[in-house]
Amino acid sequence: MFTNLTKLDLKDKKCMSDAGSPKLCMKALPGEGAERSCAYDGARVVLMPITDVAHLVHGPIACAGNSWDNRGARSSGSQLFRRGLTTDIMENDVIYGGETKLKESILEIAVRHNPKAIFVYATCVSSLIGDDVDKICREAEAELTIPVIAVNCPGFLGDKNIGNRIAGEVLFDRVIGTAEGSDEKIPLSINLIGEYNIAGDIWGVIPDLNNLGITLQTAITGDAKFDDLRSAHRASLNVLICSKSLTNLVRKMEIKYGIPFMEGSFYGIHDTSETLINIAKALGDPDLLERTMAYVQKREDETRKTIAGYKALLEGKQAILFTGGVKTWSMVSTLAELGINILAGGTQNSTPEDFQRMKELMDPSAQIIEDTSSAGFLKIIAEKKPDLIVAGGKTKYLAHKTRTPFLDINHGRKLPYAGYEGMIQFAKTLTRTVLSPVWGLLQQDFPPKEDE
Amino acid sequence: MDSCKVATKEWLNSVEYREKNFAREKLVINPAKACQPLGALLCALGVEGCLPFTHGSQGCTAYFRSTLSRHFREPVAAVSDSMTEDSAVFGGQSNMIDGLKNAHAVYDPKVIAIFTSCMAEVIGDDIGAYLGNTKEQGAIPQDFPVALANTPSFKGSHITGYDTMLKGLIDCLATPRQADKINDRLYVVPGFDTYTANLREYKRLLKAMDAPYTLLPDYSDVVDAPNTGTYELYPGGTPFTEMNDSLNAASYLLLQKYSTPTTSKYLTSKEVPVEAISMPIGIEGTDNFIQAVAKFTGKDVPEEITLERGRSIDAMTDSHQYIHGKKFALFGDPDLLIGLVTFLLEMGGVPVHIVCTNSTPLFKKAMESLLASNPFGQEATLYAGKDLWHLRSLLVTEPVDMLIGDSHGKWAARDANIPLVRVGFPITDRVNLHRYPIIGYSGVINLITMIVNTFLDEVDRNSTEAHFEMMR
Repeated sequence: MFTNLTKLDLKDKKCMSDAGSPKLCMKALPGEGAERSCAYDGARVVLMPITDVAHLVHGPIACAGNSWDNRGARSSGSQLFRRGLTTDIMENDVIYGGETKLKESILEIAVRHNPKAIFVYATCVSSLIGDDVDKICREAEAELTIPVIAVNCPGFLGDKNIGNRIAGEVLFDRVIGTAEGSDEKIPLSINLIGEYNIAGDIWGVIPDLNNLGITLQTAITGDAKFDDLRSAHRASLNVLICSKSLTNLVRKMEIKYGIPFMEGSFYGIHDTSETLINIAKALGDPDLLERTMAYVQKREDETRKTIAGYKALLEGKQAILFTGGVKTWSMVSTLAELGINILAGGTQNSTPEDFQRMKELMDPSAQIIEDTSSAGFLKIIAEKKPDLIVAGGKTKYLAHKTRTPFLDINHGRKLPYAGYEGMIQFAKTLTRTVLSPVWGLLQQDFPPKEDE
Repeated sequence: MDSCKVATKEWLNSVEYREKNFAREKLVINPAKACQPLGALLCALGVEGCLPFTHGSQGCTAYFRSTLSRHFREPVAAVSDSMTEDSAVFGGQSNMIDGLKNAHAVYDPKVIAIFTSCMAEVIGDDIGAYLGNTKEQGAIPQDFPVALANTPSFKGSHITGYDTMLKGLIDCLATPRQADKINDRLYVVPGFDTYTANLREYKRLLKAMDAPYTLLPDYSDVVDAPNTGTYELYPGGTPFTEMNDSLNAASYLLLQKYSTPTTSKYLTSKEVPVEAISMPIGIEGTDNFIQAVAKFTGKDVPEEITLERGRSIDAMTDSHQYIHGKKFALFGDPDLLIGLVTFLLEMGGVPVHIVCTNSTPLFKKAMESLLASNPFGQEATLYAGKDLWHLRSLLVTEPVDMLIGDSHGKWAARDANIPLVRVGFPITDRVNLHRYPIIGYSGVINLITMIVNTFLDEVDRNSTEAHFEMMR
């Protein structure tokens, strides 16, 4: 039904790098219909989970009106972060400038909403009309007792990844290391970087960390409190969960605060164990390492026993995997743990390293999805006829139209999949998805053919 | 620390804070409106073979698609020409040329509907001129139809965008009106309406009344498509031939009087007869619709419909006692609010707080006169241009029994400890509500069902054993 863009030579011919991975995070082509968001969204995704601060969007209704409280990041305390705060730039502001409006809004929030800090997001419109968000934030901060932090992330700067990076810079420059009191490292403490507590993911991991005697200083930024973030420089180790989004941040923290970093993933039994062991190794405590080795063995056995029933039901199913970041490779082994083969895999917002890792883990016969538009996605479904698709919410209803079971593993999901507990949830949900009787119903002809 | 938190929460619930909250002028908290291009996108989905195309930043399109997709639980096809920083400096012409070329080649549409996002508007892109240049360069064929709409989100709201896009689509696709070519059809414009069942119900009623009609736009089959095993990019929409003939319409009937002024003005300027009525919600609203159609056809209202009306009124008599005297707060779009308030007044319900973020002067006047003319409307105040944080203050300081509005109202309802009946857009936390009509006589029954049963569920869950009853 569709013409494939790749065949039309519309894509950059050099899109395959020497290492054989597609040019990742490439600019979307005009008119191709790729599912990309913008730099503003990227910054918001990283910063918005900070719970006890206010997030003020200096833009027209499009930016906040379409995105307030839409992300599924959960908080154990303050719900202030979910409030949809915006200056709602109107035509007159475009003509006369929106700086006064912004200043008044910041002051109003500080006085009436009791935030620990205010993050102010610039948008396409505020930047194009020349509002100096930095200046206004500085002025407002001088009148207040809380930090007012400008996030210069107009959407036109590019894709989500650029926004992620900007957010990392903001955290490094304005938040981390600003706490009063001791700067001493806290023994056996870690930060989880790029973990946003979607659907409560982090709550499935914290008990295991605690059982091992590891302290979570803060996640950056899932369920994060502003004061904990300010002391994030006191952690002994940074564990980078979503490697695409905040690599710049961990590198800078290593240089400035001497915090080593490692990459890890809490998706799936294998990766959870490996990550816990690597954390123990990196923290350099022989006792901890010994404890961890025994602990993960016990947890693996328990978890495998619990999911054995699900695995029996899922064994041999064929999947298409399409996601971003750490899940690119981590989901390959998670699905393999349940006996599921991957027919084709693709990624949009991943680093080349993530991608190579995915490729190494997949069966050599698995196809790499190059065309990430709806058209490309549908083509690969039609060719491969998978038993299930594991991807982000934007492709969910496309998949359903092709009568293919679909599991959302990005921010649209409602259930936590991280850690051993998350693996059980994942197996359960996947089984429910693949074995739903509705797929059988869809296969029936109606009215039935006469010869049957 | 904790005592401070408690104090803050109590203070937010106080009359003192309500006053300060209503003095707030610059800051918007929890807005109850979406932006122009979102409405334009939805409108464009309702024309056969039409591909919605945002001229502007790609992030906007990603937001529209995901918001619409979450409401309808359907894929939503749209493209953008991905303007970035360099386009901000040099203008978006090359983006539009490449975008149209690619979209035309990949998605094979019959028509492309271009609407702008803020970025293109701020830098002053002339989309008409760009389109001319695109065709001149041969990026798309000269005769390929492309509809245009300027829809910056710093003006108006989603309903304005729908209106502007509709005008653009008619202007692009219709042949000029000619006295000897006037057709026999009634063109019915629903307005920004996110109930696919409403659109289907309009069609059913028009068919039952034997009226030759065209529903424009009609995305009911596009965002509520049957599962056939294959994804269809263009599964329905107002037929192309009827679009071509849309200025030769015998007459237009606009069903959201306060939400389609641009289209109305445009049609009038082309000497097309236009009648605009309020959204047919409630008995009186539906009666007006039926009578307007009957006037057009010159035929009697069929018995099928009078019987249907009778059943709806019967349902009202069966359940009026559950709504009579109950206090309501509502928020939403202008025409939806007029319809819902009309219905509540018919049932003896008492609207108290009515919040309309995207209010217009004409709507305000109409709502206020509707309330003033009815004994059950005397307690109501319309809060024009206010947001859901204002609504929250109203609910906690001047309590009502129920909130009616979209999913965004769930926090305010929770804080006020009252039920929320979901009506409007977006509804992202309940299933299938858009598959039940709220317009027409059947809509009356559905609204009663939702409102009354919600009250009764509350009663059952909260009643002591002594008052737990089989009959309610």
